[in-house]
Amino acid sequence: MHPKLELPINRFKVAGLPDHRIENAPAPGEVAAMPERIPLLKARLRVDTGDRVKIGTPLYEDKKNTDIVFASPAGGRVMDIRYGPRRVIREIIIQTEKAEEHEDFGAPPGTELSRMTRSRLVQMLLNAGMWPFIRDIVYRGVADPAETPAGIWVAMDNLDPFHPPPDIYLSTPADLRQFKTGLQALGIFCEHTYVSKSAKSAELDAEIEKRVTHRVRGDFPAEDPGVVHFHNKSTARENRGWFIRGQDVVLLGEFLETGRFPTRRTVAVSGADIESRYVSTRIGAPLHTLVSGFIEPDKYRWVTGGLFRGSSGSIESYLGLYETALFLITESGKRELFGFMRPGANKPTCSRAFLSIFNPRPLPVDADMHGSKRACVNCGNCTRVCPVDILPQFTYKCIRAGEIEEALSHGLLDCVECGLCAYVCPSKIELCHTFQETKHAYFRERI
Amino acid sequence: MGRIETTLRKIFDIPRKHFAPGGRLEKMGPLFEAIEDVFFFPAEATRHRPLVRDSLDLKRFMSFVLVALIPPLLFGIYNTGYHTRLASGLSTDFLTAAGTGLMIVLPVIIVSYAVGLFWELVFAAVRKHPISEGFLVTGLLFPLTLPPTIPLWQVAVGISFGVVIGKEVFGGTGRNIFNPALTARAFIFFAYPAQMSGDGVWVAVRQNAANAADAVTGATPLALTTLQAPFNHIQEMLASKGYTLATLAVGNYPGTIGGTSAICAAVGALILIAAGIASYRIILGCIAGLLATGFLLNLLAAPQAMPWFSVNPVYHLAAGGFAFGAAYMATDPVTAPGTERAKWIYGFLIGALTVLVRVVNPAFPEGVMLAILFMNMFAPLLEYSEIRLRIKKRIPHV
Repeated sequence: MHPKLELPINRFKVAGLPDHRIENAPAPGEVAAMPERIPLLKARLRVDTGDRVKIGTPLYEDKKNTDIVFASPAGGRVMDIRYGPRRVIREIIIQTEKAEEHEDFGAPPGTELSRMTRSRLVQMLLNAGMWPFIRDIVYRGVADPAETPAGIWVAMDNLDPFHPPPDIYLSTPADLRQFKTGLQALGIFCEHTYVSKSAKSAELDAEIEKRVTHRVRGDFPAEDPGVVHFHNKSTARENRGWFIRGQDVVLLGEFLETGRFPTRRTVAVSGADIESRYVSTRIGAPLHTLVSGFIEPDKYRWVTGGLFRGSSGSIESYLGLYETALFLITESGKRELFGFMRPGANKPTCSRAFLSIFNPRPLPVDADMHGSKRACVNCGNCTRVCPVDILPQFTYKCIRAGEIEEALSHGLLDCVECGLCAYVCPSKIELCHTFQETKHAYFRERI
Repeated sequence: MGRIETTLRKIFDIPRKHFAPGGRLEKMGPLFEAIEDVFFFPAEATRHRPLVRDSLDLKRFMSFVLVALIPPLLFGIYNTGYHTRLASGLSTDFLTAAGTGLMIVLPVIIVSYAVGLFWELVFAAVRKHPISEGFLVTGLLFPLTLPPTIPLWQVAVGISFGVVIGKEVFGGTGRNIFNPALTARAFIFFAYPAQMSGDGVWVAVRQNAANAADAVTGATPLALTTLQAPFNHIQEMLASKGYTLATLAVGNYPGTIGGTSAICAAVGALILIAAGIASYRIILGCIAGLLATGFLLNLLAAPQAMPWFSVNPVYHLAAGGFAFGAAYMATDPVTAPGTERAKWIYGFLIGALTVLVRVVNPAFPEGVMLAILFMNMFAPLLEYSEIRLRIKKRIPHV
């Protein structure tokens, strides 16, 4: 079965696609865990400043379900714990040692995987801090281990500009083997493991291609696991699902083969003024180690996790647990003379209101709003781009009017938070942010 | 360019402190900001996801409507001047006609913009919100729907009603139910019928012209129904008055300032559709509704029925303000439904109602204004119905 999904979203031409090669980043002297970047998580620390930790030692846990722990991505000493507003734990910084020690999680199941029970596997992944790689498809936080999902979606591609494609993170035979082991383990959780792959990404080894169940055409966010899931479900029972990124499946396989918490990451590094390429590094690496050559660091927004879904930081930030992309964009800050009436041959847009629609080249993007906030004029641009058939302008108005039930019936929980609605809005309304906040508030209230 | 930019920058930077909160002219802040934004595009940084945003903003969105209004505006200026000079017995060569037209049309537009802007500013200052670009469109659309003889004070009263009652009392741009420009026109239409309808208002005859021709009739083609054309001969009768289909399409006849030319409106509609600003569904829906209803009424035409029953539906397309209304008024996104199937129905019913008002009701020779206002009222219902249908199709989260 190879269902195809096509979405009419194909007008992104973002400059900065990384060259097709992998470089090794220098080994960082410190790495960080960032609880703040895990959606919906209320974290409780398990370590203190000065503690010695091994790779895999639990650093923090989920307050609501203390079985879910998050492993240390490095071995060494906890150097600093930084907090944000309202004492949210922002960064736990670990100074790495030369010879890092690993936490021992018992003998690796390896080939015995086929005889493993679901509860034992869940317990094992929870203990080792591997569980958080499996995520909930509706709220996009860490999956609830007590729940039985209708299916697990493996998203091999992430087309949010720019992420490593499968042929980059599966470049060695070991990667391929571990990917298969990971897939096998996922099969233990529930009957259906779906693997979706973009039709654009390169052909892989035949055995993996055989495992692909869904091929997706179109640009971001057609490949998003939430979108593919939305277009494939047929009953309300199938609403609940889990997803995992392709690169995390490799980590899962590595864990099952070695019995150690895996730390490697392949990251796409892009930007107008830097060498765009793929970099092999580790989870929680400081961002400055990913960029080579001299740049003025304060000129940029250091965006990790993609332009649409990512968050912005500075040169002092680190890679989050799920983040495999770094994009350096500028805030122009320059008020362009007669900006709104220029022909705009170089202005990226989804509309047909600029000459750039005739420009086939990839266009540079920046972190500007490109306009000021106005009232919604019901233009319907958001509806045209929504990948899950929500009417964002009406759903937004429901939320603003306090009609949460109405917003839910419009399909708020199907929202995959891709950000396209807010991207195209000419009135610059924060649609995506509002939907995300409302979903989170609903999630907290529901419990 | 660099020097101009620096100079302009200074012009804005020097008085800025007075308009800032706490400054002497704090209340005028929105005006200052609006004017500065026209020259210097705002460069605010993104704070929330997604961290990149489309280059299209509302200012550019609305500017496209202004660009699309250029053909009817220019033609309207020339046409107004031409008929004025013709009726006044003066030479009608292109340049002088355009000049005369400009002298008549420009004051109307200036009054419309100035008075409208005043109200926008009052509400922006009181409500502390920025001035919306939608006003630029309203301020130009309204004058183009008026007869050239309109007294300027009526323009002022009309735009005041349109902006205040048509828009601001609902909460401003984006919340209004009725198209503000049409609300303004409807108000003038019903409040001052003597200046808005009849045979005498469509040509601005120069009273001081000694040799003014008395033979010029000012009746618009749609108003000719009163002449009681014989059954099945309305086209011949229109042609005998000089209103062939070609004349109607080009728009070279006395009428509203910008609404006579179907071809100019079609050019504008093409610009709007090509740029993705106006919905082609609404425009095509309007045309389909108009032709279908016109054809249906043809079937019902009988000698005792009113003469317009028997006219070829294509005449409806070319005559009067239909093309102008369908291209610029019906497509106003705020007052049209926001869902796609509802847009087809909305457009279709505007077309159908336009023909019904024109043909069946002899009191109103023109129907497009009433048709659009009427459908504006039903747009939320159409929208609501489609949303219900869409919700039914969704798989609910329980």
